[in-house]
Amino acid sequence: MQITRRHLSLAAGMAAAVALTAGALIASTAQAAPATGTPAPAFSGLTSAGETISLADFAGKTVVMEWTNDGCPFVKKHYTTPPSNMQTLQKGAAANDVVWISVISSAEGEQGYADAARANELTASRGAAPAHLVLDAEGTIGKLYGAKTTPHMFIITPDGNLAYDGAIDSKASAKVADIGAATNYVTAALADLEAGKPVATPVTKPYGCAVKYK
Amino acid sequence: MIRVYRALVLALAGLGLFVPAVAAQASGDGRRAEAELISERTSVLPGETVFIALKMTMDQGWHIYWRNAGDAGLPPQLILKETAGIGEEALGEMMWPLPKLLPVVDGEIMDYGYDDEAVFALPLTVPADAAGEVRIEAVADYLICESVCIPETADVSLVLAVGEPEENVPAGDLIGAWIAKVPRSFEGEARIDDATAPWTLSLSLAGGFPEGAGVRFFPFEHEISHPADQPQRVGPNGASLLLTPDRAGQVGEALEGIIRVDAPGAEPVGYVIRAERGEVFAGTADAAFVPVAGAGEVAGLSWQGLLSLAGFAFLGGLILNLMPCVLPVLSMKALGMVSAAASGHAGELRSHGLWYTGGVLVSFAALALVILAVRQATGFATLGFQLQHAPTVAVLALIMFAVGLWLMGFFELGSSITNTGSSLAGRGGAMGAFFTGVLAAVVGAPCVGPFLGAALGAVMSQPAPAVVAVFLAMGFGMALPFLVLSFVPGLHRLLPKPGKWMDTLKQFFAFPMFLTAAWLLSVLADLAGAGAVGWTLAGATAIGFAVWIGRGAGPARRAAAIAALIAAFALPAVQANDPAASAGGEPSVPSYAEAAWSPAQVDALLAEGRPVFVDFTASWCASCQVNKLTTLDTKRVKAAFDAADVAFLVADFTQKDPVIADELKRRGRAGVPMYLWYPAGSREPQILPELLTQELVIGLVEGR
Repeated sequence: MQITRRHLSLAAGMAAAVALTAGALIASTAQAAPATGTPAPAFSGLTSAGETISLADFAGKTVVMEWTNDGCPFVKKHYTTPPSNMQTLQKGAAANDVVWISVISSAEGEQGYADAARANELTASRGAAPAHLVLDAEGTIGKLYGAKTTPHMFIITPDGNLAYDGAIDSKASAKVADIGAATNYVTAALADLEAGKPVATPVTKPYGCAVKYK
Repeated sequence: MIRVYRALVLALAGLGLFVPAVAAQASGDGRRAEAELISERTSVLPGETVFIALKMTMDQGWHIYWRNAGDAGLPPQLILKETAGIGEEALGEMMWPLPKLLPVVDGEIMDYGYDDEAVFALPLTVPADAAGEVRIEAVADYLICESVCIPETADVSLVLAVGEPEENVPAGDLIGAWIAKVPRSFEGEARIDDATAPWTLSLSLAGGFPEGAGVRFFPFEHEISHPADQPQRVGPNGASLLLTPDRAGQVGEALEGIIRVDAPGAEPVGYVIRAERGEVFAGTADAAFVPVAGAGEVAGLSWQGLLSLAGFAFLGGLILNLMPCVLPVLSMKALGMVSAAASGHAGELRSHGLWYTGGVLVSFAALALVILAVRQATGFATLGFQLQHAPTVAVLALIMFAVGLWLMGFFELGSSITNTGSSLAGRGGAMGAFFTGVLAAVVGAPCVGPFLGAALGAVMSQPAPAVVAVFLAMGFGMALPFLVLSFVPGLHRLLPKPGKWMDTLKQFFAFPMFLTAAWLLSVLADLAGAGAVGWTLAGATAIGFAVWIGRGAGPARRAAAIAALIAAFALPAVQANDPAASAGGEPSVPSYAEAAWSPAQVDALLAEGRPVFVDFTASWCASCQVNKLTTLDTKRVKAAFDAADVAFLVADFTQKDPVIADELKRRGRAGVPMYLWYPAGSREPQILPELLTQELVIGLVEGR
């Protein structure tokens, strides 16, 4: 019986061999969205400095991930100088040994897409100070994390768990004037982690432009 | 950029050139939408309440958002200026007309909103002390997006005279028409069962929803994943939707939002619902439902989408020619052409190619209609279902066997079907060609399901014409090689000369047919048990008897042959259909499978913190068997699974199973195989490709 079934399977296999070639062409891509309190998905990506970094490299440190698109008005709001909201957060993170990773998931040809040269130029012109700027034009990391908007912020604890997923602050708008009156969720979450407490507001609704995936 | 554009327009205008096309690109002063305040009255009485509205006219391709914008975006706002002649208390709440789905990235990002035009009505209570005129000055503040988003503001104002009421008929009509589109309160009852994910939103409505109506839930907040499908079930007392919770999604006191009901041939209607926790209402979730035209107006494929699907189906049809179950029949056709070419009937080849194509296309159209009928009757629309129906499998196995005997030369079907040699000409040849096409499609049927699963998956929930179009594209792909052969002059001369090799080849091709029959028997064993296999083998014997006795002349022999043939097909089909005989056979399960799949089982294992691998398989699915042989049932993979303490679950779709069918549909698959990988601690799985490799699976398990 066992042998017969094997042979039958092989016969079927002949039929399928050609099919699979075509099937592989149209196989759909994976999609997984992590939950806070669970391990953050492992990723590796190429930075604008030409290095390949992966999440494992930062074990033992708090990591902030920021999805960005310089053409998006919501991103512009937080990079406008003054008050340089995002840049201030990035510099504060660096001072506290927190690793700040900006990610660009805009596909080539879409708003916000950057190759390494443009990305570095952007960092300079915006006065930004991320530890790394990851180029994710394929959208792999973005989809792995379920990044929906720019900005969309994630915070990962030193032991690799996702601690925060959501908006940068509480005022969903593209107006610079709203920054002052808003509660900054990232600042709050980092303060909680620093104090050794669980993050009080671990999940919020991110706001902004849709990530320009390909 | 915009400024450059405007400068260009002005410059051209200055030169006296007429440039309406360019000027039309941007509304008014460079904004993407025109905002306007309108009123149903030109004059009002102090103290009365009238309707005014913010009217938004968007440029082609641009959209604005509903009160809940979905994953990205912001709803428009009307903000009174301090200089406005009225206080904030005079204006009531903005009324939100029924939105539509705005998919941004398939399966990832979904927004809710409006394109073209939207009118947001607001009640205005005229101050009791108003005199002379009422002046409303405000700012329309909105985010408008195409692929990029632009926040815009527009000053809007309205002046109403205070005095004898006077209507503004066109504006009043427009406001009235848009107020009619505002979701009204639901006449039935709504409940949410959030005990397990996915949640079930049960909507009870006396008399049920209109026939064929698709229902989509739009939440006011973000409890659910916006882009996720909402598989619908229906019953005599209403409908229910499976909702995928958002990552941190929890139902508070109740789940609130609107449902959009798209009934065929009717304007979509919206209802406001408030669903408190409770069990699913009886009679709201009896059968799966596949909307004829999609709810939320997106299920209808774009032309480009349909074209690319049809393109895939066409390619699939071409490749189908190489399948072991099809190749022999087609080779007979080719051999017929060789003979025809040799005997100088090249001119007849053309009509022949056309007849053959016709036969294939008619058969594929028939297959599409059968699938549509099954979908209508059961709500399932999975490919390969023909291999879940035991009598069909038994009959297919017998057809394969009979075709094998014919290839062996045990009997002749006469020149009208084999159309070898000189009978190619004339009407008999044409009919023969037609039926060769039909036969090719029929023997191809077992290969179609497992083969084109993903490509046809997307079309399965589409309106009937799209389904038929895609199947016809596949049929055309299958027929094309012969059509080309018969139409391109001189091409047939490249065919080899006829000779004894033709007979040898023909006989050789009998073996793939016998193997296919044997495979179908193993499928049948799983479906209907050993008894049905026995009856089918007896049927095969009866076919042999019919062939033997039919060889001689005489009406008695002929009658005996026909009787044997009828018995050969009818008895196994009847026996295979006997439900008492079914449920035998071993399931199609790798040796180390831990448990049968169920959503609850997955949740339980994930809660234990174990990674989970789910194998959606069926014994009739060829690709599944290949993956099992090459990957899942290998020592390396098994060792990797053991090392990582992976729970291996099997969802066996060999027999119809509505829960599995729902899961397949939810993940956008039309059938098996489907492989889901839940890394430890995750909640949403990765969907793996249909072609597995050991490296891929081991890499995932080891987290590389």
